[in-house]
Amino acid sequence: MKSPKNILPFAFIAPAILFLSALLIWPLVQAVILSLQDVRSVGTSGSWVGLANYRKLLTSPMFWDSAWLSLVWVLTNAVLQTLLALGAALALNQSFPGVRIARTWIVLTWIIPTVVVVMIWRWLFSTSGGIVIPVLMQTGVIDQPVGFFAQPNMAFATLVFINSWRWFPFITLMMLAGLTRIPRDLYEAARIDGAGAWKRFTRITWPLLAPTLGVLLVIGTLLSFNVFDIIWLLTAGGPAGGSRTLPVLIYETAFKSYRMSEAAAIAVMATLFLMAFAVIATRWLARPPEAR
Amino acid sequence: MKRPLRWNLILVAVLLLLVALIALPFWFVLTGSIKAPAEIIAREPTLVPQSFTLEHYVKLLAASDYPLYMMNSLIVASVSTVLTLALAIPAGYAFFRMSFRGRETLYRAILLAYAFPSIVILIPLFGIFAKLGLVDSRVALVLVNVAFSLPFAIWLLRSFFAGIPTEIEEAARLDGGAPFTVLRRIMIPLAAPGIAAVAVFAFVTAWTEYVFASVMILSDAKRTVPVGFSGIIGQYQIDWGLLLAGASLSILPVVILFAFVGRWFVAGLTEGAVK
Repeated sequence: MKSPKNILPFAFIAPAILFLSALLIWPLVQAVILSLQDVRSVGTSGSWVGLANYRKLLTSPMFWDSAWLSLVWVLTNAVLQTLLALGAALALNQSFPGVRIARTWIVLTWIIPTVVVVMIWRWLFSTSGGIVIPVLMQTGVIDQPVGFFAQPNMAFATLVFINSWRWFPFITLMMLAGLTRIPRDLYEAARIDGAGAWKRFTRITWPLLAPTLGVLLVIGTLLSFNVFDIIWLLTAGGPAGGSRTLPVLIYETAFKSYRMSEAAAIAVMATLFLMAFAVIATRWLARPPEAR
Repeated sequence: MKRPLRWNLILVAVLLLLVALIALPFWFVLTGSIKAPAEIIAREPTLVPQSFTLEHYVKLLAASDYPLYMMNSLIVASVSTVLTLALAIPAGYAFFRMSFRGRETLYRAILLAYAFPSIVILIPLFGIFAKLGLVDSRVALVLVNVAFSLPFAIWLLRSFFAGIPTEIEEAARLDGGAPFTVLRRIMIPLAAPGIAAVAVFAFVTAWTEYVFASVMILSDAKRTVPVGFSGIIGQYQIDWGLLLAGASLSILPVVILFAFVGRWFVAGLTEGAVK
Protein backbone atom coordinates (compact mmCIF):
# COMPACT_ATOMS: atom_id res chain seq x y z
CA MET A 1 0.00 0.00 0.00
CA LYS A 2 2.78 2.46 0.71
CA SER A 3 5.52 2.24 -1.85
CA PRO A 4 6.78 5.79 -2.33
CA LYS A 5 7.47 5.18 -6.00
CA ASN A 6 3.87 4.34 -6.58
CA ILE A 7 2.58 6.69 -9.23
CA LEU A 8 -0.92 5.31 -9.18
CA PRO A 9 -2.37 7.82 -6.69
CA PHE A 10 -1.00 10.65 -8.78
CA ALA A 11 -2.56 9.20 -11.90
CA PHE A 12 -5.90 9.29 -10.11
CA ILE A 13 -5.44 12.81 -8.81
CA ALA A 14 -3.79 14.38 -11.83
CA PRO A 15 -6.95 15.06 -13.88
CA ALA A 16 -8.60 16.96 -11.04
CA ILE A 17 -5.43 18.88 -10.21
CA LEU A 18 -4.78 19.78 -13.85
CA PHE A 19 -8.37 20.87 -14.30
CA LEU A 20 -8.32 23.10 -11.23
CA SER A 21 -4.95 24.52 -12.22
CA ALA A 22 -6.22 25.44 -15.67
CA LEU A 23 -9.46 26.97 -14.47
CA LEU A 24 -8.56 28.49 -11.11
CA ILE A 25 -4.81 28.91 -10.74
CA TRP A 26 -4.02 29.99 -14.30
CA PRO A 27 -6.76 32.65 -14.37
CA LEU A 28 -5.48 33.87 -11.01
CA VAL A 29 -2.01 34.29 -12.50
CA GLN A 30 -3.61 36.11 -15.41
CA ALA A 31 -5.45 38.35 -12.98
CA VAL A 32 -2.15 39.31 -11.34
CA ILE A 33 -0.61 40.07 -14.74
CA LEU A 34 -3.68 42.05 -15.76
CA SER A 35 -3.56 44.07 -12.56
CA LEU A 36 -0.09 45.32 -13.48
CA GLN A 37 -1.26 46.67 -16.83
CA ASP A 38 -3.76 49.26 -17.98
CA VAL A 39 -6.23 47.16 -19.95
CA ARG A 40 -9.64 48.76 -20.21
CA SER A 41 -12.01 46.38 -22.01
CA VAL A 42 -11.66 42.67 -22.64
CA GLY A 43 -9.50 41.62 -25.54
CA THR A 44 -7.67 44.91 -25.89
CA SER A 45 -4.01 44.99 -24.96
CA GLY A 46 -2.43 47.26 -22.43
CA SER A 47 0.98 48.40 -21.37
CA TRP A 48 2.74 47.73 -18.10
CA VAL A 49 2.06 50.22 -15.37
CA GLY A 50 3.64 48.47 -12.41
CA LEU A 51 1.79 48.94 -9.16
CA ALA A 52 -0.10 52.03 -10.32
CA ASN A 53 -3.48 50.33 -10.10
CA TYR A 54 -2.80 49.25 -6.54
CA ARG A 55 -1.59 52.70 -5.57
CA LYS A 56 -4.71 54.22 -7.05
CA LEU A 57 -6.88 51.76 -5.15
CA LEU A 58 -5.30 52.34 -1.79
CA THR A 59 -6.12 56.02 -2.05
CA SER A 60 -9.61 55.49 -3.43
CA PRO A 61 -12.39 56.09 -0.88
CA MET A 62 -14.72 53.97 -2.98
CA PHE A 63 -12.47 50.95 -2.52
CA TRP A 64 -12.23 51.39 1.23
CA ASP A 65 -15.98 51.97 1.56
CA SER A 66 -16.50 48.80 -0.38
CA ALA A 67 -14.00 46.81 1.68
CA TRP A 68 -15.67 48.03 4.85
CA LEU A 69 -19.11 47.04 3.51
CA SER A 70 -17.74 43.61 2.66
CA LEU A 71 -16.48 43.21 6.20
CA VAL A 72 -19.86 44.23 7.64
CA TRP A 73 -21.58 41.94 5.13
CA VAL A 74 -19.47 38.95 6.13
CA LEU A 75 -19.88 39.56 9.86
CA THR A 76 -23.63 40.18 9.82
CA ASN A 77 -24.22 37.17 7.60
CA ALA A 78 -22.01 34.98 9.76
CA VAL A 79 -23.87 35.94 12.92
CA LEU A 80 -27.36 35.60 11.44
CA GLN A 81 -26.60 32.34 9.60
CA THR A 82 -24.94 30.76 12.60
CA LEU A 83 -27.77 31.69 14.95
CA LEU A 84 -30.47 30.43 12.58
CA ALA A 85 -28.48 27.29 11.83
CA LEU A 86 -27.78 26.60 15.51
CA GLY A 87 -31.47 26.83 16.38
CA ALA A 88 -32.45 24.66 13.43
CA ALA A 89 -29.69 22.11 14.05
CA LEU A 90 -30.53 21.72 17.75
CA ALA A 91 -34.17 21.17 16.80
CA LEU A 92 -33.40 18.72 13.99
CA ASN A 93 -31.06 16.79 16.28
CA GLN A 94 -34.08 15.77 18.37
CA SER A 95 -36.23 12.84 17.41
CA PHE A 96 -39.77 13.63 16.36
CA PRO A 97 -42.10 12.36 13.65
CA GLY A 98 -40.96 13.62 10.26
CA VAL A 99 -37.44 14.55 11.32
CA ARG A 100 -35.87 12.77 8.35
CA ILE A 101 -38.07 14.66 5.92
CA ALA A 102 -37.29 17.93 7.67
CA ARG A 103 -33.56 17.21 7.55
CA THR A 104 -33.67 16.49 3.84
CA TRP A 105 -35.91 19.28 2.67
CA ILE A 106 -34.56 22.08 4.81
CA VAL A 107 -32.00 22.74 2.07
CA LEU A 108 -34.76 23.65 -0.36
CA THR A 109 -33.69 27.29 -0.11
CA TRP A 110 -30.23 26.38 -1.34
CA ILE A 111 -31.05 24.14 -4.30
CA ILE A 112 -33.01 26.74 -6.26
CA PRO A 113 -31.42 29.33 -8.57
CA THR A 114 -30.43 32.58 -6.88
CA VAL A 115 -32.39 34.44 -9.52
CA VAL A 116 -35.48 32.69 -8.25
CA VAL A 117 -34.56 33.40 -4.62
CA VAL A 118 -34.33 37.05 -5.55
CA MET A 119 -37.61 37.06 -7.44
CA ILE A 120 -39.45 35.27 -4.63
CA TRP A 121 -38.33 37.71 -1.97
CA ARG A 122 -38.82 40.75 -4.12
CA TRP A 123 -42.42 39.64 -4.46
CA LEU A 124 -42.88 38.66 -0.80
CA PHE A 125 -41.48 42.03 0.28
CA SER A 126 -43.51 43.97 -2.29
CA THR A 127 -46.81 45.77 -1.85
CA SER A 128 -48.29 43.89 -4.82
CA GLY A 129 -49.38 40.69 -3.13
CA GLY A 130 -46.40 40.19 -0.86
CA ILE A 131 -47.10 38.58 2.49
CA VAL A 132 -44.42 40.27 4.60
CA ILE A 133 -45.88 43.78 4.80
CA PRO A 134 -49.44 42.64 5.70
CA VAL A 135 -48.04 40.35 8.41
CA LEU A 136 -45.83 43.08 9.85
CA MET A 137 -48.76 45.51 9.83
CA GLN A 138 -51.14 43.02 11.44
CA THR A 139 -48.69 42.30 14.22
CA GLY A 140 -48.11 46.01 14.71
CA VAL A 141 -44.40 46.00 13.86
CA ILE A 142 -45.00 48.71 11.25
CA ASP A 143 -48.00 50.96 10.72
CA GLN A 144 -47.55 51.67 7.03
CA PRO A 145 -45.91 49.85 4.10
CA VAL A 146 -42.13 50.21 3.95
CA GLY A 147 -39.80 49.96 0.98
CA PHE A 148 -37.37 47.22 1.86
CA PHE A 149 -34.88 48.22 -0.81
CA ALA A 150 -35.42 51.97 -0.81
CA GLN A 151 -32.97 53.15 1.81
CA PRO A 152 -29.31 51.99 2.06
CA ASN A 153 -29.29 50.48 5.57
CA MET A 154 -32.66 48.85 5.14
CA ALA A 155 -31.67 47.42 1.76
CA PHE A 156 -28.45 46.07 3.25
CA ALA A 157 -30.29 44.43 6.15
CA THR A 158 -32.83 42.92 3.76
CA LEU A 159 -30.02 41.52 1.61
CA VAL A 160 -28.37 39.99 4.67
CA PHE A 161 -31.65 38.35 5.57
CA ILE A 162 -32.21 36.95 2.07
CA ASN A 163 -28.65 35.67 1.75
CA SER A 164 -28.78 34.06 5.18
CA TRP A 165 -32.13 32.54 4.30
CA ARG A 166 -30.51 30.88 1.32
CA TRP A 167 -27.44 29.61 3.15
CA PHE A 168 -28.40 28.80 6.73
CA PRO A 169 -29.95 25.39 5.95
CA PHE A 170 -26.69 24.32 4.34
CA ILE A 171 -24.82 25.37 7.49
CA THR A 172 -27.48 23.64 9.59
CA LEU A 173 -26.70 20.28 8.00
CA MET A 174 -22.99 20.64 8.62
CA MET A 175 -23.72 21.66 12.19
CA LEU A 176 -25.87 18.55 12.58
CA ALA A 177 -22.78 16.56 11.67
CA GLY A 178 -21.05 18.03 14.71
CA LEU A 179 -24.06 17.40 16.93
CA THR A 180 -24.49 13.76 15.93
CA ARG A 181 -20.85 13.15 16.78
CA ILE A 182 -21.45 14.01 20.45
CA PRO A 183 -21.91 10.69 22.28
CA ARG A 184 -25.38 10.26 23.74
CA ASP A 185 -23.97 8.63 26.89
CA LEU A 186 -22.49 11.96 27.91
CA TYR A 187 -25.96 13.41 28.22
CA GLU A 188 -27.21 10.38 30.09
CA ALA A 189 -24.32 10.54 32.53
CA ALA A 190 -24.89 14.26 33.07
CA ARG A 191 -28.56 13.66 33.64
CA ILE A 192 -27.82 11.02 36.27
CA ASP A 193 -25.48 13.49 37.93
CA GLY A 194 -28.44 15.85 38.08
CA ALA A 195 -27.38 18.39 35.46
CA GLY A 196 -30.26 20.49 34.07
CA ALA A 197 -30.89 21.10 30.38
CA TRP A 198 -29.10 24.45 30.35
CA LYS A 199 -26.10 22.99 32.14
CA ARG A 200 -25.99 20.07 29.71
CA PHE A 201 -25.98 22.56 26.84
CA THR A 202 -23.23 24.77 28.27
CA ARG A 203 -21.05 21.93 29.58
CA ILE A 204 -21.47 19.29 26.87
CA THR A 205 -23.08 20.55 23.66
CA TRP A 206 -21.35 23.90 23.45
CA PRO A 207 -17.73 22.83 24.15
CA LEU A 208 -18.02 19.79 21.88
CA LEU A 209 -19.74 21.74 19.13
CA ALA A 210 -17.32 24.67 19.28
CA PRO A 211 -14.75 23.19 16.84
CA THR A 212 -17.49 22.53 14.29
CA LEU A 213 -18.81 26.04 14.79
CA GLY A 214 -15.33 27.38 14.17
CA VAL A 215 -14.99 25.51 10.90
CA LEU A 216 -18.45 26.60 9.84
CA LEU A 217 -17.73 30.24 10.64
CA VAL A 218 -14.72 30.05 8.34
CA ILE A 219 -16.67 28.36 5.56
CA GLY A 220 -19.56 30.76 6.07
CA THR A 221 -17.23 33.74 5.88
CA LEU A 222 -15.73 32.57 2.61
CA LEU A 223 -19.13 31.76 1.13
CA SER A 224 -20.64 35.09 2.17
CA PHE A 225 -17.72 37.13 0.94
CA ASN A 226 -18.15 35.73 -2.55
CA VAL A 227 -21.85 36.44 -2.80
CA PHE A 228 -22.47 38.59 -5.81
CA ASP A 229 -25.59 37.55 -7.68
CA ILE A 230 -28.12 38.14 -4.91
CA ILE A 231 -26.83 41.66 -4.32
CA TRP A 232 -26.46 42.49 -7.98
CA LEU A 233 -29.91 41.26 -8.92
CA LEU A 234 -31.70 42.96 -6.03
CA THR A 235 -30.00 46.30 -5.61
CA ALA A 236 -27.11 46.35 -8.12
CA GLY A 237 -24.96 47.66 -5.29
CA GLY A 238 -27.33 50.49 -4.44
CA PRO A 239 -29.09 52.46 -3.24
CA ALA A 240 -26.33 55.07 -3.14
CA GLY A 241 -23.65 52.38 -3.02
CA GLY A 242 -25.16 51.04 0.18
CA SER A 243 -24.62 47.42 -0.84
CA ARG A 244 -21.57 47.77 -3.07
CA THR A 245 -19.43 45.02 -1.55
CA LEU A 246 -16.08 44.12 -3.11
CA PRO A 247 -17.44 41.54 -5.59
CA VAL A 248 -19.98 44.14 -6.78
CA LEU A 249 -17.25 46.75 -7.10
CA ILE A 250 -15.09 44.31 -9.07
CA TYR A 251 -17.93 43.53 -11.44
CA GLU A 252 -18.88 47.18 -11.89
CA THR A 253 -15.32 48.23 -12.52
CA ALA A 254 -14.73 45.48 -15.06
CA PHE A 255 -17.99 45.24 -16.94
CA LYS A 256 -19.70 48.60 -16.42
CA SER A 257 -16.84 51.09 -16.43
CA TYR A 258 -14.57 48.87 -18.55
CA ARG A 259 -11.46 49.19 -16.41
CA MET A 260 -10.35 45.55 -16.42
CA SER A 261 -6.94 46.10 -14.91
CA GLU A 262 -8.28 48.07 -11.98
CA ALA A 263 -10.90 45.41 -11.39
CA ALA A 264 -8.18 42.76 -11.49
CA ALA A 265 -6.19 44.70 -8.90
CA ILE A 266 -9.20 44.77 -6.56
CA ALA A 267 -9.73 41.08 -7.19
CA VAL A 268 -6.10 40.23 -6.41
CA MET A 269 -6.23 42.20 -3.17
CA ALA A 270 -9.46 40.48 -2.19
CA THR A 271 -7.95 37.07 -2.93
CA LEU A 272 -4.81 37.78 -0.92
CA PHE A 273 -6.95 38.88 1.97
CA LEU A 274 -9.26 35.86 1.79
CA MET A 275 -6.42 33.36 1.39
CA ALA A 276 -4.62 34.87 4.35
CA PHE A 277 -7.80 34.64 6.35
CA ALA A 278 -8.37 31.02 5.30
CA VAL A 279 -4.81 29.97 6.12
CA ILE A 280 -4.73 31.71 9.49
CA ALA A 281 -8.20 30.45 10.38
CA THR A 282 -7.47 26.83 9.49
CA ARG A 283 -4.16 26.97 11.39
CA TRP A 284 -5.93 28.35 14.39
CA LEU A 285 -8.69 25.75 14.14
CA ALA A 286 -6.19 22.92 13.65
CA ARG A 287 -4.51 23.60 16.99
CA PRO A 288 -6.57 21.29 19.18
CA PRO A 289 -6.32 17.83 17.59
CA GLU A 290 -9.94 16.93 18.29
CA ALA A 291 -11.05 19.81 16.06
CA ARG A 292 -10.85 17.63 12.96
CA MET B 1 -35.14 9.70 25.80
CA LYS B 2 -38.11 11.54 27.34
CA ARG B 3 -38.28 15.29 27.05
CA PRO B 4 -40.00 17.48 29.60
CA LEU B 5 -43.07 19.33 28.33
CA ARG B 6 -41.53 22.76 28.15
CA TRP B 7 -38.74 21.46 25.91
CA ASN B 8 -41.32 19.94 23.66
CA LEU B 9 -43.04 23.32 23.47
CA ILE B 10 -39.79 25.05 22.55
CA LEU B 11 -39.09 22.37 19.96
CA VAL B 12 -42.52 22.83 18.40
CA ALA B 13 -42.03 26.61 18.38
CA VAL B 14 -38.67 26.33 16.61
CA LEU B 15 -40.08 23.88 14.08
CA LEU B 16 -43.05 26.14 13.37
CA LEU B 17 -40.66 29.01 12.84
CA LEU B 18 -38.66 26.90 10.39
CA VAL B 19 -41.82 25.98 8.51
CA ALA B 20 -42.84 29.64 8.34
CA LEU B 21 -39.37 30.62 7.18
CA ILE B 22 -38.82 27.91 4.59
CA ALA B 23 -42.03 26.15 3.58
CA LEU B 24 -44.33 29.17 3.58
CA PRO B 25 -42.50 31.21 0.93
CA PHE B 26 -42.53 28.19 -1.37
CA TRP B 27 -46.18 27.61 -0.66
CA PHE B 28 -46.97 31.19 -1.67
CA VAL B 29 -44.93 30.91 -4.84
CA LEU B 30 -46.43 27.59 -5.96
CA THR B 31 -50.01 28.56 -5.16
CA GLY B 32 -49.44 32.06 -6.54
CA SER B 33 -48.50 30.60 -9.90
CA ILE B 34 -52.03 29.20 -10.33
CA LYS B 35 -53.93 32.19 -8.96
CA ALA B 36 -55.70 34.66 -11.21
CA PRO B 37 -53.70 37.89 -11.70
CA ALA B 38 -55.99 39.94 -9.46
CA GLU B 39 -55.60 37.48 -6.59
CA ILE B 40 -51.81 37.41 -6.89
CA ILE B 41 -51.50 41.13 -6.19
CA ALA B 42 -54.36 41.27 -3.65
CA ARG B 43 -53.72 43.49 -0.65
CA GLU B 44 -54.61 40.63 1.67
CA PRO B 45 -52.67 37.61 0.34
CA THR B 46 -54.67 34.38 0.39
CA LEU B 47 -53.14 31.30 1.98
CA VAL B 48 -55.44 28.98 0.03
CA PRO B 49 -56.00 29.92 -3.63
CA GLN B 50 -59.47 31.24 -4.33
CA SER B 51 -59.04 31.03 -8.08
CA PHE B 52 -57.41 28.60 -10.46
CA THR B 53 -55.79 29.25 -13.80
CA LEU B 54 -52.98 27.85 -15.91
CA GLU B 55 -52.70 30.99 -18.00
CA HIS B 56 -49.33 31.94 -16.50
CA TYR B 57 -47.83 28.60 -17.45
CA VAL B 58 -49.34 28.71 -20.91
CA LYS B 59 -47.96 32.18 -21.48
CA LEU B 60 -44.54 31.20 -20.13
CA LEU B 61 -44.21 28.09 -22.25
CA ALA B 62 -45.79 29.45 -25.41
CA ALA B 63 -44.80 33.08 -25.55
CA SER B 64 -41.31 33.12 -24.03
CA ASP B 65 -38.08 31.25 -24.65
CA TYR B 66 -38.38 29.63 -21.25
CA PRO B 67 -38.51 26.02 -22.57
CA LEU B 68 -35.29 26.70 -24.45
CA TYR B 69 -33.59 28.06 -21.31
CA MET B 70 -34.77 25.01 -19.42
CA MET B 71 -33.23 22.73 -22.05
CA ASN B 72 -29.92 24.61 -21.95
CA SER B 73 -29.83 24.46 -18.18
CA LEU B 74 -30.56 20.76 -18.13
CA ILE B 75 -27.81 20.07 -20.66
CA VAL B 76 -25.23 22.25 -18.93
CA ALA B 77 -26.07 20.93 -15.45
CA SER B 78 -26.08 17.28 -16.56
CA VAL B 79 -22.78 17.47 -18.42
CA SER B 80 -21.24 19.43 -15.52
CA THR B 81 -22.40 16.71 -13.13
CA VAL B 82 -20.90 13.89 -15.19
CA LEU B 83 -17.60 15.69 -15.61
CA THR B 84 -17.42 16.54 -11.90
CA LEU B 85 -17.98 12.89 -11.04
CA ALA B 86 -15.38 11.73 -13.56
CA LEU B 87 -12.77 13.98 -11.93
CA ALA B 88 -13.84 13.76 -8.29
CA ILE B 89 -14.22 10.00 -7.91
CA PRO B 90 -10.66 8.97 -8.85
CA ALA B 91 -9.27 11.94 -6.91
CA GLY B 92 -11.36 11.10 -3.86
CA TYR B 93 -10.34 7.45 -4.09
CA ALA B 94 -6.67 8.38 -4.13
CA PHE B 95 -7.00 10.95 -1.36
CA PHE B 96 -8.99 8.83 1.04
CA ARG B 97 -7.93 5.27 0.24
CA MET B 98 -4.28 5.55 -0.70
CA SER B 99 -1.27 6.95 1.01
CA PHE B 100 1.32 8.87 -0.92
CA ARG B 101 3.77 11.65 -0.42
CA GLY B 102 2.31 15.13 -0.43
CA ARG B 103 -1.22 13.89 0.13
CA GLU B 104 -2.00 16.27 2.99
CA THR B 105 -0.52 19.27 1.19
CA LEU B 106 -2.42 18.59 -2.02
CA TYR B 107 -5.63 17.99 -0.12
CA ARG B 108 -5.23 21.30 1.73
CA ALA B 109 -4.54 23.08 -1.55
CA ILE B 110 -7.76 21.70 -2.98
CA LEU B 111 -9.70 22.82 0.06
CA LEU B 112 -8.15 26.26 -0.29
CA ALA B 113 -9.55 26.39 -3.81
CA TYR B 114 -12.95 26.48 -2.17
CA ALA B 115 -11.97 29.77 -0.59
CA PHE B 116 -11.52 31.22 -4.02
CA PRO B 117 -13.48 34.41 -4.73
CA SER B 118 -15.19 33.28 -7.92
CA ILE B 119 -15.60 36.82 -9.20
CA VAL B 120 -11.78 37.09 -9.23
CA ILE B 121 -11.37 34.65 -12.07
CA LEU B 122 -14.34 35.99 -14.03
CA ILE B 123 -12.26 38.73 -15.61
CA PRO B 124 -9.19 36.74 -16.70
CA LEU B 125 -11.31 33.71 -17.61
CA PHE B 126 -13.37 35.82 -19.95
CA GLY B 127 -10.16 36.81 -21.71
CA ILE B 128 -8.87 33.25 -21.82
CA PHE B 129 -12.15 31.89 -23.15
CA ALA B 130 -12.28 34.67 -25.72
CA LYS B 131 -8.88 33.55 -27.06
CA LEU B 132 -10.02 29.91 -27.16
CA GLY B 133 -13.25 30.83 -28.91
CA LEU B 134 -15.29 29.55 -25.98
CA VAL B 135 -17.24 32.71 -25.26
CA ASP B 136 -20.92 32.22 -25.99
CA SER B 137 -20.66 28.46 -25.73
CA ARG B 138 -22.19 26.09 -23.23
CA VAL B 139 -18.81 24.35 -22.96
CA ALA B 140 -17.51 27.42 -21.13
CA LEU B 141 -20.28 27.14 -18.57
CA VAL B 142 -19.60 23.45 -18.01
CA LEU B 143 -15.90 24.10 -17.43
CA VAL B 144 -16.60 26.88 -14.95
CA ASN B 145 -19.26 24.93 -13.08
CA VAL B 146 -17.00 21.91 -12.70
CA ALA B 147 -14.16 24.09 -11.44
CA PHE B 148 -16.45 25.50 -8.76
CA SER B 149 -17.96 22.23 -7.63
CA LEU B 150 -14.87 20.02 -7.78
CA PRO B 151 -13.10 21.02 -4.53
CA PHE B 152 -16.19 20.55 -2.41
CA ALA B 153 -17.16 17.41 -4.34
CA ILE B 154 -13.86 15.76 -3.39
CA TRP B 155 -14.37 16.74 0.23
CA LEU B 156 -17.90 15.31 0.18
CA LEU B 157 -16.58 11.89 -0.86
CA ARG B 158 -14.39 11.63 2.20
CA SER B 159 -16.78 10.06 4.67
CA PHE B 160 -18.15 7.68 2.05
CA PHE B 161 -14.79 6.33 0.93
CA ALA B 162 -13.42 6.28 4.45
CA GLY B 163 -16.43 4.24 5.60
CA ILE B 164 -15.64 1.24 3.38
CA PRO B 165 -13.77 -1.52 5.26
CA THR B 166 -10.20 -2.05 4.07
CA GLU B 167 -10.67 -5.83 4.06
CA ILE B 168 -13.06 -5.72 1.12
CA GLU B 169 -10.56 -3.79 -0.96
CA GLU B 170 -7.65 -6.00 0.13
CA ALA B 171 -9.59 -9.12 -0.78
CA ALA B 172 -10.39 -7.78 -4.22
CA ARG B 173 -6.77 -6.87 -4.77
CA LEU B 174 -5.53 -10.28 -3.63
CA ASP B 175 -7.90 -11.84 -6.11
CA GLY B 176 -5.83 -10.10 -8.74
CA GLY B 177 -7.97 -7.03 -9.41
CA ALA B 178 -6.14 -4.19 -11.14
CA PRO B 179 -6.43 -0.87 -9.25
CA PHE B 180 -8.82 0.60 -11.76
CA THR B 181 -10.96 -2.53 -11.71
CA VAL B 182 -11.07 -2.45 -7.92
CA LEU B 183 -12.21 1.16 -8.08
CA ARG B 184 -14.84 0.44 -10.70
CA ARG B 185 -16.17 -2.90 -9.49
CA ILE B 186 -15.81 -2.62 -5.71
CA MET B 187 -15.35 0.95 -4.55
CA ILE B 188 -17.78 2.80 -6.78
CA PRO B 189 -20.76 0.56 -5.97
CA LEU B 190 -19.95 0.74 -2.26
CA ALA B 191 -19.52 4.50 -2.35
CA ALA B 192 -22.66 4.96 -4.46
CA PRO B 193 -24.41 7.12 -1.84
CA GLY B 194 -21.42 9.45 -1.79
CA ILE B 195 -21.46 9.62 -5.54
CA ALA B 196 -25.15 10.50 -5.45
CA ALA B 197 -24.32 13.26 -2.96
CA VAL B 198 -21.65 14.67 -5.26
CA ALA B 199 -24.01 14.46 -8.21
CA VAL B 200 -26.62 16.51 -6.36
CA PHE B 201 -24.04 19.08 -5.34
CA ALA B 202 -22.62 19.41 -8.85
CA PHE B 203 -26.04 19.59 -10.44
CA VAL B 204 -27.28 22.23 -8.01
CA THR B 205 -24.11 24.30 -8.42
CA ALA B 206 -24.59 24.32 -12.18
CA TRP B 207 -28.35 24.78 -12.00
CA THR B 208 -28.15 27.88 -9.82
CA GLU B 209 -25.09 29.54 -11.39
CA TYR B 210 -25.86 33.02 -12.65
CA VAL B 211 -22.82 35.28 -12.83
CA PHE B 212 -20.66 33.41 -15.34
CA ALA B 213 -23.64 32.42 -17.45
CA SER B 214 -24.68 36.05 -17.68
CA VAL B 215 -21.24 37.19 -18.81
CA MET B 216 -20.14 34.26 -20.99
CA ILE B 217 -23.35 33.67 -22.91
CA LEU B 218 -24.24 36.33 -25.45
CA SER B 219 -26.93 34.80 -27.66
CA ASP B 220 -30.45 34.33 -26.36
CA ALA B 221 -30.68 30.78 -27.71
CA LYS B 222 -27.91 29.55 -25.39
CA ARG B 223 -29.11 31.14 -22.17
CA THR B 224 -29.63 29.06 -19.06
CA VAL B 225 -32.66 29.44 -16.80
CA PRO B 226 -31.10 31.89 -14.31
CA VAL B 227 -29.98 34.28 -17.05
CA GLY B 228 -33.00 33.81 -19.28
CA PHE B 229 -35.33 34.19 -16.35
CA SER B 230 -33.69 37.40 -15.19
CA GLY B 231 -34.15 38.61 -18.77
CA ILE B 232 -37.86 37.82 -18.59
CA ILE B 233 -38.06 39.71 -15.29
CA GLY B 234 -36.65 42.80 -16.91
CA GLN B 235 -38.23 42.50 -20.32
CA TYR B 236 -41.91 42.65 -19.50
CA GLN B 237 -43.96 45.00 -17.41
CA ILE B 238 -43.71 43.12 -14.12
CA ASP B 239 -46.09 40.23 -14.59
CA TRP B 240 -45.96 38.41 -11.26
CA GLY B 241 -48.05 35.50 -12.47
CA LEU B 242 -45.58 34.79 -15.26
CA LEU B 243 -42.64 35.13 -12.89
CA LEU B 244 -44.21 32.88 -10.26
CA ALA B 245 -44.85 30.23 -12.91
CA GLY B 246 -41.24 30.53 -14.07
CA ALA B 247 -39.97 30.28 -10.52
CA SER B 248 -42.08 27.19 -9.86
CA LEU B 249 -40.87 25.45 -13.01
CA SER B 250 -37.23 26.23 -12.28
CA ILE B 251 -37.61 24.60 -8.88
CA LEU B 252 -39.12 21.44 -10.33
CA PRO B 253 -36.05 19.61 -11.76
CA VAL B 254 -33.94 20.04 -8.63
CA VAL B 255 -36.84 19.00 -6.44
CA ILE B 256 -37.31 15.82 -8.50
CA LEU B 257 -33.58 15.08 -8.32
CA PHE B 258 -33.59 15.78 -4.61
CA ALA B 259 -36.60 13.55 -4.00
CA PHE B 260 -34.59 10.59 -5.28
CA VAL B 261 -31.08 11.19 -3.97
CA GLY B 262 -31.51 14.12 -1.59
CA ARG B 263 -31.12 12.00 1.51
CA TRP B 264 -27.69 10.85 0.37
CA PHE B 265 -26.66 14.41 -0.15
CA VAL B 266 -27.82 15.24 3.35
CA ALA B 267 -26.04 12.17 4.68
CA GLY B 268 -22.87 13.32 2.92
CA LEU B 269 -23.08 16.75 4.49
CA THR B 270 -23.89 15.43 7.93
CA GLU B 271 -21.12 12.83 7.60
CA GLY B 272 -21.35 10.27 10.42
CA ALA B 273 -25.08 9.99 9.79
CA VAL B 274 -24.29 7.62 6.95
CA LYS B 275 -22.52 5.05 9.09
